Amino acid sequence: MHLRLVSGVVASILLSAGAPFVLGDGALRLWTEALLILTMAQMWNLLAGYAGLVSFGHQVFVAAGAYALFLAAEALNVSPYWVLPLAPLAAAFLAALVALPLFRLRDAYFSIGIWVFSEIVATLVTKSSLTGATAGLPLKTSSLMDLDWFEPTLFWIASVLALAATAGLLLLMRSEFGLGIMSVRDNDVAAMSVGVDVQRNRLIVFVISAAGCGAAGAVNFLSNLYLSPASAFDVSWVVNMMFIVVIGGIGTLEGPIIGTLLFFALREIVTGQLGLSGGWYLVALGSVAVGTMLWSPRGLWPALSARWGLRFMSVERKAPRLALQDKPNND
Amino acid sequence: MVEVLNVSSLSKSFGAIKVADDLSFQLELGECLGVIGPNGAGKSTLLNLIVGLIRPDSGRIILDGSDITGLRPHLRARRGIGRAFQIPQPFPHLTVYENVLAAATFAGGMHEDAAAEAAIEVLQLTALFAKAELLAGGLPLIDRKRLEFAKALASQPRLILLDEIAAGLTEPEVARLTEVIGGVKAGYAMIWIEHIPHALRAVADRILVLDFGRKVLEGAPGEVMDSPAVRRIYMGFAADDVA
Ligand SMILES: Nc1ncnc2c1ncn2[C@@H]1O[C@H](COP(=O)(O)OP(=O)(O)O)[C@@H](O)[C@H]1O
Ligand SMILES: [Mg+2]
Repeated sequence: MHLRLVSGVVASILLSAGAPFVLGDGALRLWTEALLILTMAQMWNLLAGYAGLVSFGHQVFVAAGAYALFLAAEALNVSPYWVLPLAPLAAAFLAALVALPLFRLRDAYFSIGIWVFSEIVATLVTKSSLTGATAGLPLKTSSLMDLDWFEPTLFWIASVLALAATAGLLLLMRSEFGLGIMSVRDNDVAAMSVGVDVQRNRLIVFVISAAGCGAAGAVNFLSNLYLSPASAFDVSWVVNMMFIVVIGGIGTLEGPIIGTLLFFALREIVTGQLGLSGGWYLVALGSVAVGTMLWSPRGLWPALSARWGLRFMSVERKAPRLALQDKPNND
Repeated sequence: MVEVLNVSSLSKSFGAIKVADDLSFQLELGECLGVIGPNGAGKSTLLNLIVGLIRPDSGRIILDGSDITGLRPHLRARRGIGRAFQIPQPFPHLTVYENVLAAATFAGGMHEDAAAEAAIEVLQLTALFAKAELLAGGLPLIDRKRLEFAKALASQPRLILLDEIAAGLTEPEVARLTEVIGGVKAGYAMIWIEHIPHALRAVADRILVLDFGRKVLEGAPGEVMDSPAVRRIYMGFAADDVA
């Protein structure tokens, strides 16, 4: 198991190290975007698929990371790369702050509650001159970065984030903490009845999920060199995360990868190859979503893995083999 | 004699309905208290009060000498309370093995190999071993009931609370379950809510009769089951009809 994980990680690192030397500029930018969206999708998946909390407001953490990066780079007058670690911290801090009131809300009320929270933060940011109001913020210290290596560097950072999100989730879910968090998702009353600290587990997962989105959001806007509240708090961030996770397979680690590939393949085919407008792209997304839900309500990956017996990143714990064979079954 | 549970003057109302009315009783290690009473008498509510899912209006709950009345449910579970719900509460997307492993890990405080071994031992005891790798959500009712018992046992409890785990079982299954409960009983203090008189007679040391949240009677199984009060309240017909 660990050998496979390590070889998977090593192969991914080698692939992404070499990619910028092979891919063209356009392709590199596309892959960077895809890896960042994959990171966000995995973070949304962690919360919804493994902890049972469906968020409609994750764009607030994307924005928190981006604003932290832009404001800190300007205030400290350093290269944006140096203050990148502040982005996940800012998003995590915001999540920890709002968790207490939000967790008092159940199910759909939580989903709506976090969306309302995001809208409130967006309004404050749009009104405040500190954050550039509606005009947004330019990346003041962009000249401190080596622009020759700008695109490859962003690609590498995006690769690290996507890899860390996926491998990190795999390790997390295979750990004792993962067992606890999945029990909370399945039945919180039963979870507390077997000794799981439900609130603490939810808080940790919520903060991690926010931090990952903050990091990916910051890198995304770093690549634009410009940040506007309309795009940072755009609800399509969370809509895309949801589409990718739900279509690919919620509560699986492979699902969001498949979902991301499909999401970008569709976009390239519809708006690129076919030369249709963005409206048709949305129609295509919707049709694929409906089709998938009819064929396999739990998403593509569970259906595919069941059909071909594929398991790459299973988090299921096996009862010790020897014991299973040696001990008699007294049923 | 080791006292495990001491419940004193426990009361709880839902609006105008009293579901626990000044309840007091004690329980020792190795002792099984059978609880009977008509539907809605407050039996499951009593367990909810003991595990902390419901806060009492007044009264105290002492476990192993320390007051747990204000403690949150997961901490009570870790202190040694294992509960089998009347309506089974499995973790549906986890396997049977993982369900039991979670109880051994979080309530039982065991890790790695020790937790795995404890889980397997309990699965064998509860005849769920062959289904260890199936998803709990797909189990038939009988196996869900077994899984409730298995999770309670895997919690490494001092106090084990069983809520109608024999309901819906066939006669031979009830006999087997009764045998298993009788077999492990010495290691725990136990409260067993059940409507099957002969099962309780076989295992329980005392029986407590509840009605409208009130203790109507408490005593030896034979004595309680045969009392006119139980026949009237519990069986739903007047003692005179029997005589
Ligand atoms: N959370 C609750 N809120 C309001 N009423 C409740 C709640 N739980 C139980 N009750 C009521 O309390 C009474 C006792 O229920 P319960 O303890 O489940 O009875 P029993 O297990 O003896 O059949 C019933 O009238 C039930 O409707
Ligand atoms: Mg009941």
